[in-house]
Amino acid sequence: MLEIQNLTKIYPDGTVALRQVSFTVEPGEFLVIIGLSGSGKSTLLRCINRLIDPTEGTIRWDGTDVTAAESAELRRIRRQIGMIFQQFNLVRRSSVLSNVLAGRLGYVRPLPSLVHSFPAADRELAWKALQRVGLTEQAAKQARELSGGQQQRVGIARALMQQPRMILADEPVASLDPVLAHSILGYLEELNRLDGITVLCSLHYLDLVQRYATRVIGLREGRLVYRGTKEDIRRMTDAQFKEIYGEEAVRTSAGLQGRS
Amino acid sequence: MAGRNKRNKQEAGRREPPPPLVRPAAAAVASLLVPGLGQILDRLVQRGLLLLGSVVTILAMLGWRISVLAHREPTAWAMLAKALARRPFFIGLILACLVGLWVWIVADAARLARPVRDSRGRPRRGGFGIFVLVLFTFFALGWQVSQVDPVRMVTEFPKALTPLGRVVWPWQAAVVRETVDRQASAEVQTPCTDNPPPPAVEKPGQPFLLADPTCGELSALDTAGTLLPGSTLTLTGRGFAPDSEVKLYWVDPLGNEFQLRQEGRYLSVQADGRGAFQTKVIMPYRLFPGNPGESSLHQVVARQIASLGRLRASEPLLLTIERMVETIFMGMMATLFGILFAIPVSFLAARNLMSGSWLTMGIYYAVRTIMNIIRAIEPLIWALIAVVWVGLGPFAGIIALTVHSVASLGKLYSEAIEGIDAGPIEAVEATGATRLQTIMYAVVPQMIAPFVSFSIYRWDINVRMSTIIGLVGGGGIGFLLVQYIRLLDYRAAGIAVWFIAVTVAVLDYVSAEIRAKFV
Ligand SMILES: Nc1ncnc2c1ncn2[C@@H]1O[C@H](COP(=O)(O)OP(=O)(O)OP(=O)(O)O)[C@@H](O)[C@H]1O
Ligand SMILES: [Mg+2]
Repeated sequence: MLEIQNLTKIYPDGTVALRQVSFTVEPGEFLVIIGLSGSGKSTLLRCINRLIDPTEGTIRWDGTDVTAAESAELRRIRRQIGMIFQQFNLVRRSSVLSNVLAGRLGYVRPLPSLVHSFPAADRELAWKALQRVGLTEQAAKQARELSGGQQQRVGIARALMQQPRMILADEPVASLDPVLAHSILGYLEELNRLDGITVLCSLHYLDLVQRYATRVIGLREGRLVYRGTKEDIRRMTDAQFKEIYGEEAVRTSAGLQGRS
Repeated sequence: MAGRNKRNKQEAGRREPPPPLVRPAAAAVASLLVPGLGQILDRLVQRGLLLLGSVVTILAMLGWRISVLAHREPTAWAMLAKALARRPFFIGLILACLVGLWVWIVADAARLARPVRDSRGRPRRGGFGIFVLVLFTFFALGWQVSQVDPVRMVTEFPKALTPLGRVVWPWQAAVVRETVDRQASAEVQTPCTDNPPPPAVEKPGQPFLLADPTCGELSALDTAGTLLPGSTLTLTGRGFAPDSEVKLYWVDPLGNEFQLRQEGRYLSVQADGRGAFQTKVIMPYRLFPGNPGESSLHQVVARQIASLGRLRASEPLLLTIERMVETIFMGMMATLFGILFAIPVSFLAARNLMSGSWLTMGIYYAVRTIMNIIRAIEPLIWALIAVVWVGLGPFAGIIALTVHSVASLGKLYSEAIEGIDAGPIEAVEATGATRLQTIMYAVVPQMIAPFVSFSIYRWDINVRMSTIIGLVGGGGIGFLLVQYIRLLDYRAAGIAVWFIAVTVAVLDYVSAEIRAKFV
């Protein structure tokens, strides 16, 4: 489904964020990316839908080369890939409904959408998405009035509007408390299991990784240093853990991992 | 680490103050010759320079004031004497301050040069009293230079009372009564002939006066000088202003008119609720050089004058309202133009948009610099320039306010653009939206609130400004105000001031309310 080969990203200031990263994602996976802060997780996820242009390497989505895609083609690829963010990235002053509808922009005719006019079917879809994350009551509120957990659910609804085949989630629960973290990841798991949406998610807490991942890859200083299955991550040793997270990392009993 | 080091050093410094470089006597002499030199020699360079600068500045200021007060005197001493004679208190005070300061500086230099400590063993500390004296001297100078004169303010206060009273309560001048002049006349023949004049014809809606009979004898004096009353006429009037006074006049054939009297008092009657009245008058005594035997035509006139009409807005009130409307529109137009020009400018002045290349950064700095310069120049000064450009009138004011608005809105807008959150942009882009869609969904919603808020704020400022921009010919109410003040028409000026005050207060409230809704 997604095939990444020798992906390298060097930022204009010379920072090498990714070095020769290669892996593939199979349909229906819940693939978790782990790695220390600054290891390049966000960079990797953003390269996949070209929010960031990679320096070298290829990304293939269903056989088409994402890195070579021109704007129209790129938009067609992007609309099949939903994305949710650590900081939710909602338009805080727009209504919840408007934020959700924005997820449909890649499908609708551009001109009417500029004046917030959407086909009835899409409005119906937005309503269903809000229903799914339990936020129909909040539809008319401004996004900034919602709590963190609610905002992330709006983020999920927005991704749902794309009727995506894959969802990229960049530390979706890092700004939420553990209970909410399970709730949000629960939604993602449901989408993964019931709707067959492939999930590519970066996470920080080992217990969450062990609970939700079907496969894990680990990054360290931009290099892919770990590949493991669900079983592997359950059996993960301290040595392996240090290999990914660096010497200063401590594996706590709670399954949390010390961030730098 | 760094903090700890610093503390260590301080503690060390506390234990061992650096030894003075010069002995107290030497420092004192140095400061006596050049104030502050002693301190400088003792390594207190900043303190020394500050004191030196203060003394030099005070000397220069004093010299300037003396030359202003006594510029005709030939020698410096004579000038000083003359200045002291003219302003003994002020010049004396400054001189005393100067001498005191100098002595203090010398003492200060000597004190600081001694390696002594206070009772707790702390090293020497700079005294700040000396700078209090410096400040005091400067304020004393400032008092004189800016011609502060509280005595005059109090003694001359009565002069301000009348204009002040008129400005504070100008409303007598805000209305005038219409003076309606309603009158009707009836002809009276004297002496009576066979064909007396016909009674007047009544026209509906118009005042009408009927004399009955229409001829008679005037009062006359007999040889003994006693008055022989003339004929009595019954006057019936209709169509006058209801419930108000009607005065009666007599007009002789030459056109001489006088008010009718009865027993020495002017005759006047009160029209009833329907504007009608009836009264009897005795035909007056008139020295009329008519041909004896011939009859002549006199007239009796009933007239209502004075302020019988409705209350009406006065000229100043109407003009003020007119100018106030003009002023508010000036502010609105200037804001509109300001917004229109400021939007493109703000993009050029937003660092995050312009940091792409050297060229764009160059444009960014150029735009920022120009905007800073424009903002530094007050709208009143821009108005002076604009008046030369497009002539007196509101358009000049609009230009001035627009120029200033573009610069200040441009800055505010560009800061709003710089403050945009990139997250939502990224998120909307990731859905496959086009550039335009991304702007409409992720950028515009973030911009609306600050744009509206800043624009309303600017509108507020512009209307406020446009009330005074007329002072220099930029149109609006200020233009009227300055004219009234020059004509010493304080009531009219007061009306203008009231309108300005109320408008600004209302605007303040409205703009705060609107902005509160958007934040
Ligand atoms: N726009 C940028 N310009 C320059 N360097 C960048 C930029 N964005 C990220 N980097 C650098 O690239 C490296 C990888 O960053 P990235 O954000 O991908 O890490 P991450 O694994 O997501 O970290 P975190 O867990 O803290 O989010 C870091 O060293 C970071 O400093
Ligand atoms: Mg990150």
